[in-house]
Amino acid sequence: MAMSPTETVAPSSNTKNTVVRTKPPKAPQTSNSSATNHDKPRTAPAPQLFESLNDEEKRKYVKDKQVGKGTYADVFVGHFASSPSTKIAIKKIRFNADFKDGISMDTIREIRALQELRHPNIIALYSVFSSKNQNLNLVLEYCPRGDLMELIRDTDNVHYGTADIKAWMGMLCRAVWFCHENFILHRDIKPNNLLIAADGELKLADFGLARSFAEPETRMTYNMTTRFYRPPELFYQARHYSGVVDVWSVGCVMAELVLRFPFIQGDTDIETANKISETIGTPTEDNWPGVTQLKAYLAPTNVVPVKRKPFYMDLFSSLGSSGVDLMMSMFALDPRKRATSKQVLQHEWWQQEPRPSRKEDLPKRGGGVEVMGDDLKRRGGELPAEGRADKVARKIDFGAMKK
Amino acid sequence: MSRLAQRSGPPAARREGEEDDVCPVCKSSRYLNPNMRFLVNPECYHRIKNKFRKQTFEDIQVEREVDIRRRVAEVFNRREDDFNSLLDYNNYLNDVEDITYNLINKIDLDESERKLASYASRNQQTISLNVQKSLQESQNREARQVLEKEQARIRREAARREEQEEKRDREEGRRDVINMLASSDGDASRIAREGQQAVLKRSKTRQAAIQKQQQALSSDSSNGAPNGGFFIQGLKTKVEPVDEGPYDPFQGFSDKRKYFVQQNRYAWDRLDRLQKDTNWTAGGYDFREFCSRTLCEAFSGLGVFIGEEVTRTDPAFVGSVATVAAAEAGAGSKDIMMEDPF
Ligand SMILES: Nc1ncnc2c1ncn2[C@@H]1O[C@H](COP(=O)(O)OP(=O)(O)OP(=O)(O)O)[C@@H](O)[C@H]1O
Ligand SMILES: [Mg+2]
Ligand SMILES: [Zn+2]
Repeated sequence: MAMSPTETVAPSSNTKNTVVRTKPPKAPQTSNSSATNHDKPRTAPAPQLFESLNDEEKRKYVKDKQVGKGTYADVFVGHFASSPSTKIAIKKIRFNADFKDGISMDTIREIRALQELRHPNIIALYSVFSSKNQNLNLVLEYCPRGDLMELIRDTDNVHYGTADIKAWMGMLCRAVWFCHENFILHRDIKPNNLLIAADGELKLADFGLARSFAEPETRMTYNMTTRFYRPPELFYQARHYSGVVDVWSVGCVMAELVLRFPFIQGDTDIETANKISETIGTPTEDNWPGVTQLKAYLAPTNVVPVKRKPFYMDLFSSLGSSGVDLMMSMFALDPRKRATSKQVLQHEWWQQEPRPSRKEDLPKRGGGVEVMGDDLKRRGGELPAEGRADKVARKIDFGAMKK
Repeated sequence: MSRLAQRSGPPAARREGEEDDVCPVCKSSRYLNPNMRFLVNPECYHRIKNKFRKQTFEDIQVEREVDIRRRVAEVFNRREDDFNSLLDYNNYLNDVEDITYNLINKIDLDESERKLASYASRNQQTISLNVQKSLQESQNREARQVLEKEQARIRREAARREEQEEKRDREEGRRDVINMLASSDGDASRIAREGQQAVLKRSKTRQAAIQKQQQALSSDSSNGAPNGGFFIQGLKTKVEPVDEGPYDPFQGFSDKRKYFVQQNRYAWDRLDRLQKDTNWTAGGYDFREFCSRTLCEAFSGLGVFIGEEVTRTDPAFVGSVATVAAAEAGAGSKDIMMEDPF
């Protein structure tokens, strides 16, 4: 994998993550020895040394209750043995007999990518160790406030405006640009892989499909990215693509933040590719030279002209004209015409009103059972606990009243 | 209000058959005691006005209250997320309710109007900001509806097309049967039956496809149920951020490379060839990205002094990624590349 051009990306003033920084993230002798070991089975340290280093590492963390479940992993909240108040997440990869050494490529990709990337908007990997039954454990920064999908879907309890959307988008775009700057493609950007840290910071997570930029001769797999967020070149099975595959997904997230449901949806790959053609426009040699040569290109029965600005303004006016321009630049069908992650950050939208919300002011998830209870808002018809009579504040639905 | 209904159990049960006795303001029926007609429950702020008690269901009174409430809400439009805590928000709601109550019931009318006006003038910016936010929310709701309408249109069109195709199938089927009958000496009724079945089968397959599409479309909109309504929302204890300087999208990070400057183009046969190949260009492969990476790898050993690095292997070392990455490069651990498996 590529070395980080790391001298170029010194964090501005971000030294507060002391937990992260106390561990040299890539020093082969310490925390990541197990990962390195799996990367290079033949040059692994002598078993005994490995075992003892691994045990030492394992003892530093205490696993508490389970908080999530992925395809190949269970995720737990835990804490440092030495500091019970410092929470961490432990992503325990289930042993998978299908793979050599029981470890899937996804896991190796994830560990490698996260080792390279240190950024406030990218989930931090503190350490890796193995536990019994050869399960690999990734020790990650803990994100107690759920993911962006939960916020987007909870239209009843979570209200947000353009300043909030801009703040989330800013954090996402920073993360994506940083990945690309370090020659890593994420390839699975979607709202439920965007976790929310305790301080409101958005964290790009789940690097299971990430890979480094390819040598030109290397064929890359196209079967990446969750369907709704997948760019057209991957539907057409392009084998040589670039960072702008992620930019398309970012555009999908932007649209979804406004609409509060996925912009481009389909039950199957073909259906979704058709949806792109209907919603964004039909890829043709005119708007995308060479597209018909791509392996899975399907000649359309019905050519929809590429949608122009008024279409987007109808749907996304709340983002303002310049926000719509930015979104359209991410939905360019031809990847060569699509904005790069750097161009996205250079866009004028970020400087325009409204200014992105501060992360501490961003809406929080609408609370499940735990958050409900005494702290409930008082609304119409509710009695205050002490039975105070005259000042019951309530939310009133005038619209429903007047009919 | 649904949450509250759960919590306050009994009133919900009492609701039965009392549809008309619902308070026009808070829509709760609990303030009416069914045993004592129009004896107002002391929990509801309506209790003070005798006059009101008689007029509870008169539209004119309702309208007036609604107007006052709307006027107040336009000014006191703080949102819950403006507050540090729910307690602060509730306190604010209570204060607003005081003013509202006084205005409705003409208590300290001048004083209340003055409070309203002075709050409005002192908080112009926040008020319009929150108007803006609500506007955005409703625009977003509208956008959802626009898209839903569009999808409905697609559905209708598909249904129409389906109908036409079915008609055409039927006609073709009939023609087929006629042709078969004309050209063969087979059993006429069997041929007719088979012809019919073929039509049926064709239309069934299509139906299934259409059903699936409709399911997809309806699941599209299930997330987007608009939650309408106009809410009085909360007051603010936080101050607006004072000038923080312009927003920096790069957040202090830079893509300047320390050891090299990348040119726009390199004379390099290997790339020149591929750059003309649509297999690369049409997929969007970016040769500049590749050059940037190659250069970076080539230069990443510079500025690394192995002697310094070696002493830094103790775990307490607060390392920058730069030096560690460079150390690995310097120490020749580039074999983590393995065969490219992706
Ligand atoms: N650092 C974290 N802090 C808090 N919760 C987390 C963290 N990492 C993961 N989770 C939770 O665990 C779930 C699964 O994690 P993740 O997406 O990384 O696993 P996965 O196996 O890659 O899943 P999939 O591929 O199915 O999306 C997440 O959706 C999230 O709810
Ligand atoms: Mg995931
Ligand atoms: Zn009432």
